Amino acid sequence: MSALLSAADEEAALEQLHAARCTDGLPVVIPTAPRVARMVLAGGLDADLVIGEMGPLGGVATVEKIAVAAVMAGCLPDYLPVVLAACRAICQPAFDLSEMQATTHCIAPLVIVNGPARAACGLAHSHGLLGPGHRANASIGRALRLAMINIGGARPGESDMALHGSPAKFTCCMAEDEASSPLPPLHTSLGYAAEESAVTVVGVESPHSVFFTGDADDPQCAERLLETLAAVIANPGSNNSHLGGTAAVVVMLNPDHARVLTAAGLDRAAIQRELATRAVTPRSRLAALNTKMLMGIGDPLPAVRDPAKVLVLTAGGSGLYSVVFPSWCAGPHGNVAVHEAIVLGQACAVPWANGGVR
Amino acid sequence: MRDGIALARLGIPALAFVTEDFWAQGNFVAQAAGMPEVPRFELPHPVAGTGRAAMQALAEKIAAGVIARLSAP
Repeated sequence: MSALLSAADEEAALEQLHAARCTDGLPVVIPTAPRVARMVLAGGLDADLVIGEMGPLGGVATVEKIAVAAVMAGCLPDYLPVVLAACRAICQPAFDLSEMQATTHCIAPLVIVNGPARAACGLAHSHGLLGPGHRANASIGRALRLAMINIGGARPGESDMALHGSPAKFTCCMAEDEASSPLPPLHTSLGYAAEESAVTVVGVESPHSVFFTGDADDPQCAERLLETLAAVIANPGSNNSHLGGTAAVVVMLNPDHARVLTAAGLDRAAIQRELATRAVTPRSRLAALNTKMLMGIGDPLPAVRDPAKVLVLTAGGSGLYSVVFPSWCAGPHGNVAVHEAIVLGQACAVPWANGGVR
Repeated sequence: MRDGIALARLGIPALAFVTEDFWAQGNFVAQAAGMPEVPRFELPHPVAGTGRAAMQALAEKIAAGVIARLSAP
């Protein structure tokens, strides 16, 4: 059972939470005991069930503590299974959460949702999916961050030493546009069935825009797109270029750009291979820029050593832009992507559990 | 900090170098790891990138103190 604070009213409670550095700087929904209990019930799991341990503090992430974060973030109870899956994912040792929370780099977890959970939560997958205005995207990502703050203990300048932070540290959650994508859903490439739901979580920088004009009359169209995407992945100022290419990078194609590539006969594996092969930089170029921090092997140096670590998916509106998420490329496991099943349908049959008023 | 903590746990004399900008984080990590008293030594910030001469001067300035801390019972 979590400790209870007391305050004269909700306004005072909010100020108390801000003062205790329990928020992300924005107002939160006050996690009163009835609200948290309702959220816990919606997950259908015991409040004391341990989901994992969150560093650097080493806090024990129980269902109840994660439900507190979900309430504070403004989640509907329906979203809790996704929040729990994302928390499970970042607690995997391979995610290196302690190191990621503490680094001076601006990394933040990107949560990618696939499968029926997208519709169950109403997650946006098209225009502005990473921006404001989509409650599920905004609040699920925010719940993960609030859990990382309050359970994991990440506080800027004290335990989270990111030099600049990142807007993605407020929230960074989205769904793949499975319906418009000419590629199979991302999670099916990770071993899940299409009718299963899953989160894929990877620590990334904020998205970098990739400008590309398609031309159906140009036989080199796919070739040009691959070169453009690879140039952004191999940005010579990025960690990916300098630190050995161990990390995952995310390539979020808009549906038009995805179709350019598949029309040229490329499947996901071929796109990954082509991008990894092309996203390279001559050693001399990088050595001239950062003489002390060049960790890669070979010449040219790959920004992504393993093609499977280029996560290719489809999302966003139709148009000129796709986005690439560079990454951190550090930590004991090298900043890899992790994934977890989302378990839906576990909610207790409580009439007021899913948005009703008690 | 975590390297220093890991070595200390193994019973190996260790002194974590922590620059002043990271001192609060060092305290946080030591606390979180359950070793709030783990030995650490404060350096000015930054050290990295300050050049060979500056690092040499810093090393000469702190060497005796570091050895004394590591030699203390």
